[in-house]
Formats: sequence, C-alpha cells, structure tokens
Amino acid sequence: MNALRAEARLLLRSGRNLLALVLLLVLSCAAVWVGIAKIENQRATIERVEREQARDLASVEDANAGPEGDAGYNAYYAFMLTQDPPPALAFAAIGQRDLQPFVLRVRALGLQGQLYDSETYNPELALPGVFDWAFVLIYLLPLVVIALGHDLVTGERETGRLRLLLSLAGEGLWLRRIALRYGAVMAAVGLPLVVGGIIMAAPAAGVAVMLAGAALYCAFWFGLAMLVGGTMRSSTTAAAGMIGCWIVLTLVLPALANAAIARQVPVAKGIDLTLAQRENVHRGWDIPKEETFERFFADHPEWQGKQEFEGRFHWKWYYAMHQAGDASVAGDVAEYRASLARREELTRVLGFVLPGVGTMNLVHRMADTDIAGQLAYQDSIADYHTDLRTFYYPYLFEDKYFTRADFAAIPRYSPRAGTGSVALGPLLALALAALLVVAAGALRMRRISGHSR
Amino acid sequence: MSAATLIAREEWRLLARNRAGLLATALLVLLVLVASFTSLERRSAIEADRERYQASTDHDFDAQPDRHPHRMVHYGQFVFRPVAPLAFFDAGVDSFTGNTIFLEGHRQNSANFAEARQSSLLLRFGQLTPAFVLQTLAPLLLIFLGFASVAREKERSTLRLMLAQGISGKSLLFGKFLGQGVLALLIGLPAFTVLVVFAATGSTGWGTVALMIAAYSAWLLLWAFLSVLVSALAQKPRDALAVLIGLWMVIVILLPRALPQAASAQTELATKIESEIALHRDLLEIGDSHDPEDPYFNDFRDKVLAQYGVDTVEDLPVDYTGLVSIEGEKLTTAIHADSAQRQAALETEQNAFVHRFSVLSPLIAIRQLSMALAGSDPTAHLDFLDQAEAFRYDFVQQLNRMQADLLPEVEGDDPRISAENWKEIPRFSYQSSDRLDRSDRLVWPFAVLLGWLAVIAVAAPFAARRIGRMGQ
Repeated sequence: MNALRAEARLLLRSGRNLLALVLLLVLSCAAVWVGIAKIENQRATIERVEREQARDLASVEDANAGPEGDAGYNAYYAFMLTQDPPPALAFAAIGQRDLQPFVLRVRALGLQGQLYDSETYNPELALPGVFDWAFVLIYLLPLVVIALGHDLVTGERETGRLRLLLSLAGEGLWLRRIALRYGAVMAAVGLPLVVGGIIMAAPAAGVAVMLAGAALYCAFWFGLAMLVGGTMRSSTTAAAGMIGCWIVLTLVLPALANAAIARQVPVAKGIDLTLAQRENVHRGWDIPKEETFERFFADHPEWQGKQEFEGRFHWKWYYAMHQAGDASVAGDVAEYRASLARREELTRVLGFVLPGVGTMNLVHRMADTDIAGQLAYQDSIADYHTDLRTFYYPYLFEDKYFTRADFAAIPRYSPRAGTGSVALGPLLALALAALLVVAAGALRMRRISGHSR
Repeated sequence: MSAATLIAREEWRLLARNRAGLLATALLVLLVLVASFTSLERRSAIEADRERYQASTDHDFDAQPDRHPHRMVHYGQFVFRPVAPLAFFDAGVDSFTGNTIFLEGHRQNSANFAEARQSSLLLRFGQLTPAFVLQTLAPLLLIFLGFASVAREKERSTLRLMLAQGISGKSLLFGKFLGQGVLALLIGLPAFTVLVVFAATGSTGWGTVALMIAAYSAWLLLWAFLSVLVSALAQKPRDALAVLIGLWMVIVILLPRALPQAASAQTELATKIESEIALHRDLLEIGDSHDPEDPYFNDFRDKVLAQYGVDTVEDLPVDYTGLVSIEGEKLTTAIHADSAQRQAALETEQNAFVHRFSVLSPLIAIRQLSMALAGSDPTAHLDFLDQAEAFRYDFVQQLNRMQADLLPEVEGDDPRISAENWKEIPRFSYQSSDRLDRSDRLVWPFAVLLGWLAVIAVAAPFAARRIGRMGQ
C-alpha cells in the first residue's frame, strides 16, 4: 500500500501528468454538463411544441368538429404530434439527436410524403460533430493515456534510473504504475458520467455498460502504451508512434471506411420512393375510382361494398387514394430501410476491428441515439399513422358526422419505449481487442524487466 | 550561400534520412490523392444521380394528363440541388443539408434526405476529402516534422557549437523557418496540383483556385512556423511536442466542436412545427378565404368585381377561385419569406458567434474560407433554397393564372385544361453564383490566418534573441 502511495505522489508531482488528468476531468465534466443541457433543452422544446400544438389543434376542432362536422375535413387539417423524448442516457452520447427530428406532425394523408421531413437545424453547427461524453471518451481519453503512459520505460531509461529501479522494485513495479494511471484516467472520465447518470436518473445498468466500454477502451490504449513504449528507444519516438496510432485508428481509418460504406451502400431509394408515392397518389385523380378502391380493399377488405358515392368527390375515396399510394411503394420503403440498416450493420462490423468505432457503437446503442433509434421512432410513427387513419375510416365509409366527442376520441401518439440495448458483439470484440493488446504489452514489459536484470 | 539557406538545406538533408518522417509524409500525400480521387468520383456520381432525377421528374411533369390546374399545383415539382464542382475538394455542409425539395402550392416543404441523416455515426469522424486531410491531418505531420527542429540542436548542444561558429540566432531561426516552410508547401503541393488540373479542365475558375491555394498555403505555413517557434522556445524536443500536440488538440479538435454547443445554447432556433403553426396563425389573421364573412377576402372580391365591371362572381369572365389562389399564394409566400429570413438570420448569428473565435482557433477560419470557395458552405445552401422558393412561387402562380384564365372556357363538372399547358411551365435550373462575387465574407478569415502568421513573425525575433543568448 505504501509503495502505491509513493507512486501516486510521483505521478502527481509531474506537472504534465497532473495537467493531463485535470484536463480530462474538466473536459469530461464539461461534456456531461453540455449533454445534460442539450437533453433538458430538447425536453423543453418538446413541451413548448406540445403547448403550441394543443392550441393549434383546438382551432381545428372549432372549425371542423360539431353536430354536422365532417371527418374528412378534420383529418385533412388536424396534424397530430409525435414526439421522441430523449432517452435518459442520451446526455452521455447525443449521437444523431442533433440532426434527427424528435418532434414530427403527421396527418391521415399518405405517410411516405411526411415521414422524411427534416427538422430545422444549423448545418454548420452540426458539421464538426457534437461535444459530448462519448467524444471525450473516444477522441480525448487516448491522448491522455498517451501523455501518461508513453514514457513509462523510456523515461526511466533516459534519466538512467531504469536498472536501479528494476533491481530495487522488482516484479510489481510496472503493474503498480500502470494500474495507478489506469485508475486515475478511469476516475477522471468515469466519475462525471456517474454523477450525470444520477442527475438524469439514468438506469444504473446502462451507465455500467458505458463504464465497461470506457474501461475496455482505456485498457486497449494502456496496452498499446506498454507495447509501443516498451519497443521504442526514446520517449519522443514513443510519443510520436502512439500519436500515429491514434491518428490512424480514430481519424484516418474511420473516414476511409465511411467513404467505402457510402459507396458500397447507396441510399437513393428514399428519393425513389418519394417520387413514386407522389406519382401514384396523383394518378388516382385520373384513373377510374374503382381501381383505387380495389387497391385499398386489398389491405382493408372490411370496407368492401361501401365505396359507392354520388358526385365527383368523396373523402373516403381521397383517403383510400392516399393509402393506396403508400401501399404501392411498400417495396421501395423496405429497400430504403434495408439500405440504412445495412450501413449501420457495416459500421458495427467495422467496430469489431477498430476499438474507437466499437466503443462508439456500444455507447450509442446503449443510449438509443443511433440510426436504429431513429428507425424505431419512424416505426412508431408508422404504427400511429395506421391507428390514425383507421380511426377515421368508419366516419368516412359510414358517412357519420364528426362531433366534438369524436374529436376527443382521436388516437394520440404515445412515445415509443426506448430500444437502447447492450450491443454484446461490439462489447466482446472490444474486450478481445483490449485483452490482446494488454497481453502483448505485458509480455513486452516483462521482457524489459528480464533484460535489465 | 547565406547561413539561413545552409541551415534550411541541413534540415532537408536530415529529413531525407528520417525514415519515419518520410513514411508519414508519403502516407499523407497518398491520402490526399486517394481522397481527391474518391471524392471526385463520389461527387460526379451524386451529380449524375441528381441530374438524372431532375430530368426524370421534369419529364414526369410534362407527361401529366389533362387536369384541373390546381391538381398540378399540388402535383408540384421536385428540385435537386446540383453539387458545386469544387465540393469534391471540400464537401462543407453538403452532407448535412437536404438536397431535394418538393415544391407545391401554399406549402413550403423542407429540403430532405441529407446524407448525414442516412449515415451511421461514422460520418461524424470526418469525411475523406482533401480538405479534411489538409485541415486536420497535415498540421499533425508538420508538428512531427518540426517539433525538434530547434530543440534538438539545444539538447545535443549543436546549437552552442553553431553559435560559436558565428551563426546568429536570427539566421538559425530563419533557416529553420525556411526549411520547414518549404516542406509545408511541398506537402500541400499534391492537393494544389489537383486543384490546378481541375481548373485547367475548365471545371472551375482560376481565381477561386488561386484563392484556395493561397488559403491552404497560409494554413500550412502557420503550422510549420508555429512548430519551429515552439521548438525554439522549448527546452527539450519532448516539451515542444507536448505543447504542439496540445495546441493542435485545442485548435483543431476541441474548440471547433465545443463552440457550436455554446452558439446553439445562446441562440435557439424554432422547430419546423412552431414555424408552421405561426405561419398558419399569421395567415388567418390577415384573412380566411374559406370564410364567406371574411373582411379581407370580401374586400378583395369587391375590388375584383369593380375591376371587371360586374356585379357577381358568376358574371366574371375569369375563374374567381383562381384569383383567390393567386392572392392567397402571395400572402403565404410573403409570410413565409419573413419567417425564413428570421430563421436564416438566427443561423447566421450562431455562425458569426463561432467565427469570432477563429482568432483562437484558425481552423474555423480555414474551414470557412475553404467551403465558401468550394461552394459547399451554408450560404450556398441558402442560395439554393432561395432560388427554389422563387421558382416555386413563379410556377405556382403561373398555374393559378391558368386556372383563372382558362377554366371559364371549360365545360362540365370535372373541368380540366389541356396537358399541352404543362409544357409552358418553366423547369428549375440552378444558377450557381460566382464564388468571388461576395468576396467580403472571405476577408475576415483571410485576415485571421495572416494575423496568426504576423503574430508568429513578431514572436520570432524574441525567440531568436533567446537562442542567441544560449551561446554566451
């Protein structure tokens, strides 16, 4: 215990080490604080939008619901709100929540013309990426590990203490020193996360998984520090070599891989399906109405036989036309989603090889702020849209008046349950990578101890 | 040959023997070339896609059958944003902005299908373009090549020797500046060649390319000189490396990410839903064309009746609903333009906040210059949105006019006008503005880069004196 305390004193006496650790702690606190502010802001925005929406909806009710109210008009003018409140863990890994809409209004018209609308955001602010705990972990923690760990051996050799130190301190020396540094780094990056988790009432298990990811990622970098630091002759080359590893692992390879994935998996189906949906909906005005109803009855046979009406226009035909338009592009929609999922999957596979990407995948899957989270939100909107239009069908096909009581019965969207989960594959791959590098590093260190004796 | 050039030559000779340095340089050059070619290919693929989509939707519009003109107002037109030629060099915010808008009557839809919304988070690690390599990675290489330049001489006591031989601290430092500065420009050379070749093929103007090369030269020199300066002030090469890496981390990685958070916390943008609701409310305040008692539209009706000298709407020689649509479109468009302008002003305010800090983080300055010159900055996107909205207004009004003028001649309860009319409706063609047109936005970032170089120049004599004293 005394030896450890002495080592701790030694570690903190170096201005550079102390600075690096304090910097990591400060940045990690700042990141958690920024994340919490961002989440609070999104919650406040949702509340604000809900209030605006309630007022807007009330005016629609006044205009369209009454003793002789028309459900068709109401369905046309009543936009319904869907919202995706930030998951509790999003404060640590904001992910795509700065770009993806978290409030979206839909009405009973064709869903595919509404689902992909963008939210207002400033693209220049989004460009550099978010500053959150995940960023501090993935980009900055390795640099601190490099600062603390690159000269473990070379530093002692350069001051001429290495031989003496090895003969005096014996076996436990490197273990003590590395464990101490590892613990300090983990504390600097982990404590703010835990505090943030408590403030945000995040599930402890989720925080634990993120901490586990951080612990493995941190171990990987310390392993690399042992490996590179034990191989290089001077501290300077060791530092340069490790920075080189960092550049390649967190900047160059991910950018290369992203370019390759974008090329490999095109996502143009989104545009295709939007164009096709418009074409099919508008064609409805020029083809016999029976054709449209026939297409509609394929999915809604319960209304068969109720399609007759007098005159040129009836809302039931109008909404049937929109539904038929959606149904006609179901294949494109599936392909489009598959292409997004494929990109996500390739990124996951890449994470098996690149620890930084693996850690990114792990924490964002846990926080539910990746593409999968956005797709789940879209799915829940689609389900709700189905509820919404089927709610209106009886009024339209049975020519019922739409009263205020009916208005009150319009189904409301209830936010989806979070889909955050432990990405076991990436976690295991990360553990394996950390284990391999730490083992190789430890071997290297043992050899140094052996040689010097 | 002066002492300075001798020292510069010695620096190059040393580098030629530094295998790690050569390897890193070769890798960076390779990366620039790979980035150039993949990005060029990607740009032309995207451009071809968008041209194809634009042509096919334009064709679809022409191919629509006889219809009521209002149906065509809602059939609308899709427009696709062409990619600026130099966007291959710097993709700017292109991946973060939607690239297609559905234009229809009395609704302003968002630009959709931004690449960033369709990519995994991997995109946030950075996009492989020459600009990414030059902005983010090249400074690190220059740090590695330059951190030891002077500090090494101190550590090995060769500095004392040189000073004893009568080389002044000034010429020593100048020699190192020269050596590393030339290296910096050499590192930029492959990217510059790509730009020059691109301009030679006529794909972009020489002025733009010249400014781009000037901007990146200043950026690269800044890092080369900074490395030498820190190296001259540091006691040991290791200290110099630590300081430079720290500076790089703050300037290139940390501030550019942290500042936008502050900017977005300061100035908040309204969500699309709030804007839509506000727009709807503002419109109802002016008048509701569906309300037969509405004063605004009753006035409008009276004016129209007086203009045509008739007593009732039924006696009008034109379709009254068509006239109401024209009036309504005018109102919504004006209200929307107001709110879009406010929104753009807020975004500009946010960006201006970040840009102010380019004094601390010149990366922001070079990024701003680079994407403005490449035509991939937010201004270029806003320009596209403006042109699309102006186009939308024109073609929707033209269709409304058709409804007013042609519909009264058509009989029956399902009035349609000939499909021939659709061919008269114009098609969208984006007029790319000249990048140098609005050169005022280039002044400040250029001034920041030159300012950094000037500060280094001012600090250099001080460092030279300190080096000179070591010989005494």
